[in-house]
Amino acid sequence: MTDSVTEREIVTFPEGLPGFETTRRFVLQKADGLEPFTLVRGLDDGAPAFVAIEPQRVDGDFRATIQPGDRLRLQARAGDALLWLALVTVQADGTVTVNLRAPIVVNPATMLGLQVVVADSPYALDHPLLAA
Amino acid sequence: MLVFTRRKDEAIIIGDGIEVRVLRVGKDGVRLGITAAPHVPVHRREVYDQIRAANAQAAADASSVTELLAKLREATGQAAFGPAPGAGRASGDD
Repeated sequence: MTDSVTEREIVTFPEGLPGFETTRRFVLQKADGLEPFTLVRGLDDGAPAFVAIEPQRVDGDFRATIQPGDRLRLQARAGDALLWLALVTVQADGTVTVNLRAPIVVNPATMLGLQVVVADSPYALDHPLLAA
Repeated sequence: MLVFTRRKDEAIIIGDGIEVRVLRVGKDGVRLGITAAPHVPVHRREVYDQIRAANAQAAADASSVTELLAKLREATGQAAFGPAPGAGRASGDD
């Protein structure tokens, strides 16, 4: 799969993700067959892959807020439309949850991404999507 | 681990331009001021660790992610998802 990835499709996460700090390059795969999910696939050997969903699809009232430092890290200018993705987890008991507290943000204009790490989010790390 | 004794208003410098200053020493905690370039992420350890644990649970290896996705699609087949947000709505300005 990674063979067909072209340079311009690669999103760089300069800090990696918490727990996966050494994986800096990811591709986002969206397709009709995947709908409503997006695959967030790390490049390089042993890199993790995630299933993600836009937070607004899970919680219609989800309000995306970004810290000035994060905007800077994404090199986001005023007009840049940022892409938000929340990571999906299948828990051990089969429950499916979504991490709305620490979403991934990608700036398609610069192809830079990061995971939001904030102390005071009103959203849950394990927002229930589906019961077991 | 490097250990320093610092008093109120004293600081340490880490690397090129990261300063950690003791602002207040109280009974229950120490208030620290961090000065770093805006692109340097600074996080509370326990918050970072929570997210790290959540990420570890969410992660699949490349070979099993398709399987995970199939499972999810099957499980969510009946679930109603909200409409796809417009790109503009998905951006945050604050």
